[in-house]
Amino acid sequence: MQNAILGLLASGPVHGYELRTAYEDQLVPRAKLNFGQVYTTLERLQRNGLVQNEVVNQSARPDKKVYRLTDDGRRRLYDWLKKPSKFDLDLRNETFVKLMLTRRLAGADAFETLAVERRECLERLHEITQARAKAAEQKAPLRTVLLLDLAVFRLEAFAKWLDRCEELFREEDTR
Amino acid sequence: MTDDGSTLAVEVRGLTRVFGSGESKVEALRGLDMNLSAGDFAAVMGPSGSGKSTLLHLIAGLDAPNSGTIRVAGRDLSTLNDDELTLLRRRNIGIVFQAFNLLNILTAEENVALPLVIGGTSRAEAHSKAAAALDRVGIGQRRKHLPTELSGGEQQRVAVARALVNEPLILLADEPTGNLDSLSSDRIVMLLRRLVEEQGQTILMVTHEARHAAMADRLIHLRDGRVVQEQTLPPGREVDEILQDLESPP
Ligand SMILES: Nc1ncnc2c1ncn2[C@@H]1O[C@H](COP(=O)(O)OP(=O)(O)OP(=O)(O)O)[C@@H](O)[C@H]1O
Ligand SMILES: [Mg+2]
Repeated sequence: MQNAILGLLASGPVHGYELRTAYEDQLVPRAKLNFGQVYTTLERLQRNGLVQNEVVNQSARPDKKVYRLTDDGRRRLYDWLKKPSKFDLDLRNETFVKLMLTRRLAGADAFETLAVERRECLERLHEITQARAKAAEQKAPLRTVLLLDLAVFRLEAFAKWLDRCEELFREEDTR
Repeated sequence: MTDDGSTLAVEVRGLTRVFGSGESKVEALRGLDMNLSAGDFAAVMGPSGSGKSTLLHLIAGLDAPNSGTIRVAGRDLSTLNDDELTLLRRRNIGIVFQAFNLLNILTAEENVALPLVIGGTSRAEAHSKAAAALDRVGIGQRRKHLPTELSGGEQQRVAVARALVNEPLILLADEPTGNLDSLSSDRIVMLLRRLVEEQGQTILMVTHEARHAAMADRLIHLRDGRVVQEQTLPPGREVDEILQDLESPP
């Protein structure tokens, strides 16, 4: 979150409220911030010398406080951008657990589980690929298209893994 | 509407196809049933060797089954003589393969016009229809180019235009994206999807890619020469709704 905020400040000073909107709507998927979090983070960044605030006088409206990056902040941001991200493999998966159980419990059928999961996965994939196609046609922002693509490829990888499970269960059954 | 008044574009019953005999006998199809209604976009999935290409070849009339029936536009293929079969194929079937199968000495437009010219259409009319078909697949501006001057994705668009130039009832596609990179292949499938939505084209497409199969409205899973699972996919939701789902905090 700190780095994302540094990133949003990199192209010019921003007001705290605008920062929250930009963070949620234009940058980080599935993000929900409250003001408290935004200001705590900004304060921490200020303490570390990465961000400064300044007060802008506005003639018609009350003065407003905007935040900008310091040189250290910019350096810290660009260092982070160059470093590989920690890949979130998150293997906690409900289907996996079901398959392991259906393979060893009497009266349960792993192939049935696979069929049900495949159905669901393809339904989701159908929805999202349709949305992806429409987004491209409607010339949606690239961020939207790429987010949909990320969802598509994740689902596709899952579908492939289900196929693999099926092949290996069959192989095991014929041994 | 098909010749006999039903809306089934393709009706397949108890189809079997056996290759070879004795030790090398392969039962490619073992009693396969399926339907395709006019306007359907169906994807055939299944492991390698499950009989997908065999099925497509049989529907296209390029091969004959050992038993079972295939009706295309209401006509039982086994009752047709060679001439009738050729005519039925020309009027009802367009086919696209993984290899684009374009003639390298002909321009895109000449390739697309070829099936019409062979069918007896005048050169001028064949070329104007070919140009229109190339426009429909989004490469009208490349029509004077030779296949060797086109990218894989463009060549496959030419092949799609050629398959559509007769305005066939059914478009059959056997791994139409097998030779393309992921972005070009996605765009080919989106093109097929558009043909279904905008022109009511009936399509049966074989694919290994789940994300391409998912672009269809119906999925047919084959295994060992039989249909093991069929699935009708629900109509899509609005982009904004999907995005809201994807973007809403956990
Ligand atoms: N002309 C032929 N002669 C002999 N065997 C054949 C012939 N055509 C297909 N087969 C066999 O029939 C079976 C089904 O083949 P088919 O080409 O329909 O599979 P497929 O599902 O299209 O596979 P892939 O995904 O690899 O393209 C395979 O075992 C194949 O070897
Ligand atoms: Mg095949």
